[in-house]
Amino acid sequence: MKSCRPHSPWTPWLFLAPFLALFSAFIAWPLLRSLILAFEQTFGPRTVTYVGLLNFRFMLHDPMFWVAVRNTALFAFGTLVIQVPAALALALLLNRPALRGRALFRLVFFSPTIVGTVFVGVIFSVLLERRTGLVNTLLHGLIRSWNPDFAWVDGFVMPSLILASLWLSVGFNMAYLLAALQNVPSDQLDAASIDGANAWQRFWHVTFPAIQPVLNILVLLTLVGSFQLFDLPFILYADSFGNGPNNAALSIVTYLYQTGFRSGDLGYASAIGWVLTLVLVAAALLHRRLSRHEEAGS
Amino acid sequence: MISFLAYWWRRFSPKTMVCHFFAEIVRSLSPGICFVLGLGVVSATIVALLPVAPHDGLQIWVGDGNHAMLYRALAPEWNRRHPDLPLRVSLIVGPALQSRMLSGFYSGTPVADLIEVERGQIGQVFAGPLEDIGFADLSDRLAQEGLLAKINTSSFSPWTSRGHIFGLPHDVHPVMLIYRADLVEAAGIDVGQIETWADYFRLMRPLLKDLDGDGYIDRYPLTVSLTNPFFSEIFLLQGGGGYFDPAGHPTLNSATNVRILAQLGGWYAGPDRMIGDVNMYTGSGLRQLGEGYAIALPGADWYLGSLSVSLPKMAGKFKIMPLPAWAKGGRRTSVNGGTMLGITKASKHPEAAWELAKYLYFSPVMARRLFELTHIVSPMKTNWSQTYYDQPDPYYSGQPVGRMCLQQAPDVPTRPASPYFSSAIQLVNSALNQLMQVADRSATSDPAKLEPDARRLLDQAQRDLVAQMNRNVFLAGAKP
Repeated sequence: MKSCRPHSPWTPWLFLAPFLALFSAFIAWPLLRSLILAFEQTFGPRTVTYVGLLNFRFMLHDPMFWVAVRNTALFAFGTLVIQVPAALALALLLNRPALRGRALFRLVFFSPTIVGTVFVGVIFSVLLERRTGLVNTLLHGLIRSWNPDFAWVDGFVMPSLILASLWLSVGFNMAYLLAALQNVPSDQLDAASIDGANAWQRFWHVTFPAIQPVLNILVLLTLVGSFQLFDLPFILYADSFGNGPNNAALSIVTYLYQTGFRSGDLGYASAIGWVLTLVLVAAALLHRRLSRHEEAGS
Repeated sequence: MISFLAYWWRRFSPKTMVCHFFAEIVRSLSPGICFVLGLGVVSATIVALLPVAPHDGLQIWVGDGNHAMLYRALAPEWNRRHPDLPLRVSLIVGPALQSRMLSGFYSGTPVADLIEVERGQIGQVFAGPLEDIGFADLSDRLAQEGLLAKINTSSFSPWTSRGHIFGLPHDVHPVMLIYRADLVEAAGIDVGQIETWADYFRLMRPLLKDLDGDGYIDRYPLTVSLTNPFFSEIFLLQGGGGYFDPAGHPTLNSATNVRILAQLGGWYAGPDRMIGDVNMYTGSGLRQLGEGYAIALPGADWYLGSLSVSLPKMAGKFKIMPLPAWAKGGRRTSVNGGTMLGITKASKHPEAAWELAKYLYFSPVMARRLFELTHIVSPMKTNWSQTYYDQPDPYYSGQPVGRMCLQQAPDVPTRPASPYFSSAIQLVNSALNQLMQVADRSATSDPAKLEPDARRLLDQAQRDLVAQMNRNVFLAGAKP
C-alpha cells in the first residue's frame, strides 16, 4: 500500500494560488477599478478627475439612457413571454416518442444556436430587406397588394429583435427542457393516467413541477441574456451604430459601448455598467426568492 | 498570500526560504505535474527573453486597402532616398486601428510614426485636454511652409481642435449628384435647367412612378439611406447648417438647421414624399440603383470611384452634376467622409515623418495615382491644374469627373470638429426620424407646417447635447 505523505497546511493555498492570481488580475481588480472609474472622468489612464456622483446624477436625467432602459426592458419582457413558452412547446413536441424524425427536428431547431448571433443578424437583415428581401419579394409575388417596400426591420424594431432572438435561442432553451422532460418519472405519469388524469392535468400536476427547477434557471438566463442585448441590434442596425430608427433599438449595453468606446467617456460607461449589474443582481435575487417560494409551496 | 510568505519568512532566512519553497512544491506535487510546471516556466522565460522585432524606419498605420496599396507602391522611391528610414506600411482594419491608436495615446503602448485617421475616428482623440492629444500640432509647420494657403481651406476643419491643426488633409470630398442619365434623358428631362432642389423635384417628378400598377412607387427621383445620419449631414452642410460652430459650440437648433430639417421631413415622408430609402453601401442598394428604383443619389468623389468598381456593368448609364442648391445662387456641393494623416507625438523621427507626410499626400505623382485608383481629388490646390483631372471617364458617360469635382471643391463647406460629433449626428437623425413620423401622422409634406415640430425636436436635441458636453471637465474652451 502506498504511504500517504504529510502535507504542509499551506499546500491547499499553493494549489489555489494560480487561480487566485488570475482571478485577482482579471476579475477582482477590473471590477474594483471599474467601480472607482464610475466616480471619475477620464481621458486615458493618465488624465483622471474625481467627479463624485456626477455620472450617476447625469444618468438620472439622461433621456438616451432611459430610452435604452425602456427598449431593453421591452425586449426582455417580449423575449421572456415568447421564448420560454415557445421552447417548452417545442420540447414537449419533440419529446413525443411517436414523432418521426425527432433527431432531425432537434438538430434543425438547435442549429441557429451553433451559427451564432452575427450570422442570424445578417440573415435576418437580408431576408427582411425592403424590395429585394426574400420575405417582401415572396409576399408581393403572392399578394399583389403587399407593399414591396414594407419596412420589417425599420418599421417594427422591437418585434424584429425579439423574433431574431427567438430564432437564435429557442433551440438552446429547448435542449435544456428536453433534458428535463426526459427526467420526468414515467411511473408518476403512468399512475396519473391510471387515476384518470387527462393530458393537461398530467402536464400541470406531474410534468410541470418536475421541470420547474430547469424552467426557473432558463427564465433567469433569458432575463440576464436579454439585458445584455448588444450584438443583434449592432448587426441589424449597423447604419445607425445599433441605435435603429429613432433610437428604437438602443439597448443599455449598446449605449454603454457607445459612451465608453465611441465617445471615450469611460467613467459614465462604468456607471451605466454598474447600474445594469445592480439591476440584474436585484432581478436574480427576486427571481430566486420567488422560485424558492414556489418550490416550497409545491 | 501575504501570511503565507510571512510564515516562510519567520521560519527561514531569505536564502534558505527559496530552497524550502521549491522543495515544498516538489514534495507536494507529483513528478508529472512538476515536469509540466517546469516546462511552463522554462518556455515562458524563453518567450520573455525573445528579442522584439526591430522597429526601424518610419511606420505608418493605414485603415484603407487602396491607400495602403498606393503607399507601398511609393515606398521604393522613398527608401532609395532615405535608406536609413525605410517606409513600413501597416494595413489595420478601422476599429482595430482606433483601439491601437487610442491605447497608444492613453497608455504609451507603441504606435506608428504616422497614422491615417477617418473622420468618424477622430472625435475621441480630441476629447481630452489639448496637451494630451496624441498627435503633434502641425499648425506652425503648415503656416511656416505656406501650406495653409496652398491647401483647400475647408479640408482642415475636421482635423482642427481648439484652433490647432493635428493632421494633413487627405481629400476634399466634394459631393455631386449621381444620376441615371439613360432614364433621365429618355424621359426628355434637361438637367441643365436645374439650379435648385425645387427645380430638381419639379422637373424630375414625372420619374416618380408606379411602374407595375400595383399601387406602390417603384422609382424615386432621389434616394438616400434614411437611417444613415451622414446623409442628413450632406444636406445640412450644403444649406449652411451643421452641428458645431468653429469654436466647437453646438448649433443643432440653428434657424438654418430647422428650415432644412423641415424640408427633409417633407421630402422623406408624408403624402408628397420624393426621396426613396436605399442604402447604397449594400448589395441590395446597388441592385436597386441598377434596376432603376433609384434615379439619383448624392455621392462624394470617393463614392464615384467605389460605384464604378461595384457596378461595372452600368458603365455609360450614369452621369454626375453639381448638387441642386437650396436657393438660387447657393452652394452646389457638400462634403461626405474624410481622412487625415497625423504625426504621433511618440514618433522618434518627427522631421522625417513630416517629409513623408507631405510626400504621400501632396506630391503630384501621388495625387494622380490616388485619382486614377479612387476618383479622390487632391486637397493641394497646386495639383488642381493637372490634366489628368480633365480626362473623360467612360463609366460616367465620358464626363471629366475630376474636373467637375474640382470645380466644386472651393465651395465645400467647413465641418468644425468636436468629440461630440457622433452624439450630434445621432441626435439630429433621431429628430429627423421623429419629424417623419409627424409628417406621416399629420399627412403633410409641407415644410412650413413641419417647421414648428422641427424646431421643437431640434431644441430638445440641442438641450441633450449641451447636457452631455457640460459634463466634460476637460473641454473648458468648447463648452456651450
